Amino acid sequence: MADAFCPDCKRSTEVVFDHSAGDTVCSECGLVLEAHAIDETSEWRTFANESADNDPVRVGGPSNPLLTDGGLSTVISKPNGAQGDFLSSSLGRWQNRGSNPDRSLILAFRTIANMADRLGLVATIKDRANEIYKKVEDLKSIRGRNQDAILAACLYIACRQEDRPRTVKEICSVANGATKKEIGRAKEYIVKQLEVEMGQSMEMGTIHAGDFLRRFCSHLGMSNQAVKAAQEAVQKSEELDIRRSPISIAAAVIYMITQLSEAKKPLRDISLATGVAEGTIRNSYKDLYPYASRIIPASFAKEEDLKNLCSP
Amino acid sequence: MAQYNLEGCQSMDLAKHPSGIGLILQNIVSTVNLGCKLDLKMIALRARNAEYNPKVCTGAKSEEQSKLAARKYARIVQKIGFQAQFMDFKVQNVVASSDVKFPIRLERLSLHHDAFCTFEPEIFPGLIYRMKDPKIVLLIFASGKIVLTGAKSRDQLYRAFEQIYPVVVEYRVPQIGNEDKDSTDRVPRLLA
Repeated sequence: MADAFCPDCKRSTEVVFDHSAGDTVCSECGLVLEAHAIDETSEWRTFANESADNDPVRVGGPSNPLLTDGGLSTVISKPNGAQGDFLSSSLGRWQNRGSNPDRSLILAFRTIANMADRLGLVATIKDRANEIYKKVEDLKSIRGRNQDAILAACLYIACRQEDRPRTVKEICSVANGATKKEIGRAKEYIVKQLEVEMGQSMEMGTIHAGDFLRRFCSHLGMSNQAVKAAQEAVQKSEELDIRRSPISIAAAVIYMITQLSEAKKPLRDISLATGVAEGTIRNSYKDLYPYASRIIPASFAKEEDLKNLCSP
Repeated sequence: MAQYNLEGCQSMDLAKHPSGIGLILQNIVSTVNLGCKLDLKMIALRARNAEYNPKVCTGAKSEEQSKLAARKYARIVQKIGFQAQFMDFKVQNVVASSDVKFPIRLERLSLHHDAFCTFEPEIFPGLIYRMKDPKIVLLIFASGKIVLTGAKSRDQLYRAFEQIYPVVVEYRVPQIGNEDKDSTDRVPRLLA
């Protein structure tokens, strides 16, 4: 039951929605105001023949707006009861001959999806990375550039834009052979190209230690109390004048916090979880040590415990 | 011959350097056209200290030195037997370094001057500031040291530095009370 303006009655009247035909009908004069309304509620499932291989309602995968024709395609399928390899016959060969205009694009999307899955990234980041790659691809100037680095850089930028940054080293670990330097260069290149195109939308804030802290802590299996203390410590450390990469600061803070709790993590584990070299963690710890009392929350460790903190 | 100027002995011209801080020129790259065809293989074999860097003169610490070096090289080429002339000597790039003597908050600077700055601490510890006028690239480090490059003359560098100095002063790291880093004194402090 709703109210709408009926042109016959020339006033606002009560209107009934008939679900069976999708009609919006005026209750006073019976005029059909709108017919064939599109139902936007979630669709119902067919349970009749619950066989996973051949659902006749669906034809093909979800439409991908990034591909030239939305990913629509028509393929000749194997007839039921065909023996042997149907596709090697003349009909199958003829079908495969037709070149897909998006072949390289589809391959790139698949590579990005692979990398994203290995890092456990959500679909939003994956889709954004695909978008970025498509935009860069359209500019044609990436021909001959290191393809792996470009794809890795797209993923890196997507993570940054979604405020879920991943360190370049983490991206390196899933990228197919691209080095930190190459990915860095590719990232600068893409940002420069797309800034002209998209203007301000390439905004990426600088990285902070706090962005990575939660993830590093869970890789190490730290207790909730320790994680909270580490987050507070990192927050406070931002006011200090410590000239180190935010990742190194995060690693050093984790080291300090774990040294203060019962479950002490060896330097090696922290190095593996954060990707920071052990020597760097030691040096960053040296820089952080004088401010220990200031950044570590009193709720976590009292002054005497801080005395137990080993001097670097 | 041109007068030989020692950088350190110049008296500060406050009209040119209102900030009171001078720049140290580090590198000058210039080119000259010798006006004749050269057999590079022969030169490389016959001249001492010859590196294949066609017509480029780098490493000089002042413009006069650069011109001097170019002339000396032209002389060497002449001695080998080519009809070398000294045409179109042009300084292509001048690089300078400086120090503002206080630490700088790079992150905040890059946040507020977003259009000009690139700051990626993972990739490079310095902030890259691309000034539009004059068109100079400055590398600003958290220690307060600044490197300026991309200039065709040293005046461009001076102008660029004087323009960036007030900006950088704005983002100075505030001093935190009487902080003695080497103190082992553990006075309990109440955290708010």
